[in-house]
Amino acid sequence: KITLPPLTNSFFFLYDSSKVQEEVDLTRDGIYYFSPEDTPIDQQELLCGQLAGVCRCVSELSSSPVRLLHLRKSKYAVRMKDKFLWALSCVVDIPDVSVCDLLDQLIALFCFYNGPVRQSYQLYSKQELALRWARYLCHLQGGSTELHHIFSCLRTIDSTHIDPLLLLKAALILQACQRCPLVLAGCILYRGRVVSTQMPPALTVKVMVYETQTYSQDFQVTANGLSSLVGSPFSSTATTQVFLMPTELHMLRCPPVDRACRSHCNQPPCQPSRSRLLSRTLSDTPTTDTDSSMPSSPRSSLSDELCFSPSPSRVNTPIHSNLMNQSEYFTPDSHVHSTSNGTNLCAVEEHLAGLNINQIKSEENKLDANNHVTNKNGNGETEEEAKTKSKQINRKLKEKNEPTNTPSPHETLEDTSLVPLVLYQHRVKGLVLALLVEPEFITDHSAREEVHHSSLASLNGLEAHLRNTSPGTPGPPGPYTFAHYDCIQNTLTTNVCGRSVGPQDQAFVKATKLVHSHFSRLDTLQEAIVRNASSAVYGTRTTAQETYFLQQGTPVRNSGSPDPQDSAFSLPRKARLRLLKHGVNLL
Amino acid sequence: MKCLLLANESAEVLFYWTDTEFEQRVQEQYGVSQEEGERLPAFEDSINTLFAPIIISCSTMVDRLGDNYTSFSTENNHIYVLHQFEECLYIAVNGDGDETEEDLKRKIFVMKKLTEIMFGMVTFSGALLRKELRPQDTEQRNRLWKKLRSLLETYSRLRENDQSFLVEAVERLIHPTLCEQCIEFLERRLVQQINSNMDRMGEEVLHAFILVHTKLLAFYSSRNASNLYSSDLLALIILVQDLYPSKINLDETSEMAEDSLQTLEAPTPDPSAPSRVFLESKECPMPHSMYCLPLWPGITLVLLTKIPNSHVATSVCYFLEAFVKLEKRLCEGHEGAAAMRGQPSVQEQRSRLEKLIKTWAGMDIQVSGQQNFKNKAFSRSGSGFTRDLLPSCRNMKTQLCGVYRQFFAAECMGSSQRLAPHLQERALSMVQEKLMDWKDFLLVKSKRNITMEFPGLIHFIYVDRSNGQMIAPSLNVTDRTVSELGKGPLADFIKKKVWSLVATAQRYLQKGYATVTLRDGDYFYCYFLWFENETGYKLEVIDIPSSPDDGAPVGMLTCDYYRKLLRYYSKKHQNEVVKCYELFTVHLGVIPNEYILQHCSQLARKLWEPTRIPLL
Repeated sequence: KITLPPLTNSFFFLYDSSKVQEEVDLTRDGIYYFSPEDTPIDQQELLCGQLAGVCRCVSELSSSPVRLLHLRKSKYAVRMKDKFLWALSCVVDIPDVSVCDLLDQLIALFCFYNGPVRQSYQLYSKQELALRWARYLCHLQGGSTELHHIFSCLRTIDSTHIDPLLLLKAALILQACQRCPLVLAGCILYRGRVVSTQMPPALTVKVMVYETQTYSQDFQVTANGLSSLVGSPFSSTATTQVFLMPTELHMLRCPPVDRACRSHCNQPPCQPSRSRLLSRTLSDTPTTDTDSSMPSSPRSSLSDELCFSPSPSRVNTPIHSNLMNQSEYFTPDSHVHSTSNGTNLCAVEEHLAGLNINQIKSEENKLDANNHVTNKNGNGETEEEAKTKSKQINRKLKEKNEPTNTPSPHETLEDTSLVPLVLYQHRVKGLVLALLVEPEFITDHSAREEVHHSSLASLNGLEAHLRNTSPGTPGPPGPYTFAHYDCIQNTLTTNVCGRSVGPQDQAFVKATKLVHSHFSRLDTLQEAIVRNASSAVYGTRTTAQETYFLQQGTPVRNSGSPDPQDSAFSLPRKARLRLLKHGVNLL
Repeated sequence: MKCLLLANESAEVLFYWTDTEFEQRVQEQYGVSQEEGERLPAFEDSINTLFAPIIISCSTMVDRLGDNYTSFSTENNHIYVLHQFEECLYIAVNGDGDETEEDLKRKIFVMKKLTEIMFGMVTFSGALLRKELRPQDTEQRNRLWKKLRSLLETYSRLRENDQSFLVEAVERLIHPTLCEQCIEFLERRLVQQINSNMDRMGEEVLHAFILVHTKLLAFYSSRNASNLYSSDLLALIILVQDLYPSKINLDETSEMAEDSLQTLEAPTPDPSAPSRVFLESKECPMPHSMYCLPLWPGITLVLLTKIPNSHVATSVCYFLEAFVKLEKRLCEGHEGAAAMRGQPSVQEQRSRLEKLIKTWAGMDIQVSGQQNFKNKAFSRSGSGFTRDLLPSCRNMKTQLCGVYRQFFAAECMGSSQRLAPHLQERALSMVQEKLMDWKDFLLVKSKRNITMEFPGLIHFIYVDRSNGQMIAPSLNVTDRTVSELGKGPLADFIKKKVWSLVATAQRYLQKGYATVTLRDGDYFYCYFLWFENETGYKLEVIDIPSSPDDGAPVGMLTCDYYRKLLRYYSKKHQNEVVKCYELFTVHLGVIPNEYILQHCSQLARKLWEPTRIPLL
């Protein structure tokens, strides 16, 4: 039996109620994006109109935005911000917490690649942005099992089938890149899965979208027969502008080992201490370290809060004017330059791209030719300069021909607390090195070359090793089913494979959903055993992990009355024994 | 911040209840500030305005998408639960974190149950229910709404404090000898005497029972009475508690005087007037009169009588059902003979209906519209059984509900219909005399019904779902008398944990899990549900179907989940009587699991005995 991912057949829409205020206004004018896109417009209008109306009414009554709407046959996670309303539906048996996470991820992805939503819609057409929503939605929906959706976790390579030295090598490549002070953090991905990452999980997820996207583009090229992946060296680099929340940036810029700093310098990002970055050692890079010093789990709403309500006190700091400035340089379109003929051509293309950027810069911003230098420290500008730039961007917004919708100062200010950075990506066949770099990196040729050359050989080597590692075909399935979710790294280890699952696996997933939901509601809950006639599932969790275990085969028949001999109660012991070989320690 | 609201499809509020916080919020938000006298209707208006968009959107969703909202939640954790029963939409709101979505859903179903108890079959017709719940006369409406609000608050108080309303099963006072004596007394002396008296005004006592607070001391049903379902018994206890609230936090011995005062100013203006209640039977909701006779504060005698003409209910119901079926088949597109399939022949029904209407005419009860239906359905020129018949079919339904109402609604019966007051007084004093020596014992016993002797066991609840009864140690946290748990914050903490255990277990049960164990903080919780035959032999476990999220809550007071569960299980065991039991336990977490499970098993065995006390 094939179980469809829970988001198939689901609705997602972004609706702007400020466009529909008068009686005469059409609901369709408020619909910015609706998925599936082939939904008849009257049905789109019906759903958006009804849900938006009800959400508004409820949020007024409760003086708080609506978060969830349950219907008999489906449920909607909702986000309301300013006049925007996002809603993502799924089937009713997906835990509330999971669908809310998915929606937040989706919005965060959009903001990561496009910046503030309102501004994006002023700069680009609905059609252009629709493509992007579709891409992000597709990324979140695609290819993973229902369990992945339940935990909204990262897809990682199966480390049990990989030589640990390769993982070490990947970590070293990332550290080597960080010798360049413009590089903040990076991750290495192989065929859509994480090999090593220095970023918190929420950021890694975002970076992966870009990887998948360019990967599929490459794949298309291959499929068209224009170039061949097999046998020929294949390497490319690409950069794109991305937007980080101040907290995310703060985490990257503040050395994770320095906990005193982390706990004291809260909101305003402390100045990047380059020396530390340069001298980082293996022990202080893994993200586990980073996050274990955080009181909340990565799935907490902390990051969402920040995405939506950035601290207003920061609005006048130079970083923001910086952002306004940068957004003139780059269009969020990614600059992908790929070539099948090795690195030389690639470098030339990059050079050209650099020129191109310089041209744009000279055309549109003659005020500050040294801008990328002054901004290097993030505070090179004066207030006045910032103001000038604000004016400029306002002018540009007006040029975009939406005079009636000039954002209120409040809105603009709130939105623009996202900080622009650049995502640099170096692909070697299925392997991708993705780095979050300071914007100046793009014009700093020596830095780029340094990073490129220092990593190229190692990447080639790593790729070859990974390619030759037998694909993680799981051994014969054991007499049990399990899922182990690492809340810190946001990763999942499971022997439930693929999309086709047997009845036992279904029973397992069903129980896992319920118990996971229960864990998410009740902090003090440590373990649970639930059983029906045909299956018994054991779930246990700590602050760092959640583990679920099912012993296959029908549990020994009994009456369900209290009975110490009931096989369900031996599950904790079995789980402890069985899972050790999967690297899961429940002791 | 709480609110409960009933509205019909035209977004008219049929009833609402709010706590003061919600009321204040609405007033602040909408600046509703009126003169003293005008305040109420104005508030009602603002409630109406506030909820109208939601109510309208509900009907749009049903009409156009075939789906409907079941709940909303906001970022500040306000919860809205919605449920549509026929033409009536219920909305319950909580904004203070006291209630979960499940609690609100349950509250809605309980409200529905209370309207059924009060109005019976009238609830089948949206138009009539509207008339019933929203009388034109403002004073009458205020009186009714006050009553309903008070019932709702009584329910909420019981739900929050009383374990039998937590698990929705009746708690017995465990004293087999006294129980047996009382049953015998009720049967041989009381009921017999009343039923043979000329002044009973055509009424007949069918059930009689004695309550000590919410606990049942003895229950007697006469031979020709039909079964009183646990759901009804629980609802009746709410009515009794509403009339004579137990002051849970008072020490009986020292504050008796004050308590008696409380009883003296009993809320009913006419103390010997019965309440009209409609109780479930196999055929239809049957009208009964309920007499609550307070023996002493906290101890009540309840008599349920059959009222004259109650057989009319059965025949009205018979036709109502026929029309409902016809309507359904017509809606599904069946016409002609197919529309009437599965029912007695058309001619037979027709003549029966005509006969009945003649009888009713003799009693001054008119059924208009019947001619119209007849013309359309049976005459040659009429269309016969086609879709055109739908409106008059619906009209007939309303007419029948109307007849039912005219016969049985309390205000239509006239105030003279009751057991003569002297008969009621006689009954009261007879039972008082019988229990005089026991009363103090009973009041104490009601707080110390059963004790625990397992080390490490903090609490348990044992429920026999077949007869709807439960046993548990007391958890009177507000009581001055110390319960097994002591009092103060720890007892309060445990109480909260027990409440959440039951909610959790029910949520898992709803999804088909009949065994659940949880390690939460320093405690270990177990839940078991199992089936036995009559001799106590444990039957094999079965897969329990998981019910949809918007289904009725697991319990007995509302849609009686367990009755359905038993029916489901019995299909596989048709040769024997199937019983269903539940056990909830709370242990200290430090006790090893195997000991805990052994405890549970022993406990189940030990508790099996007391539930066997005959209840008759």
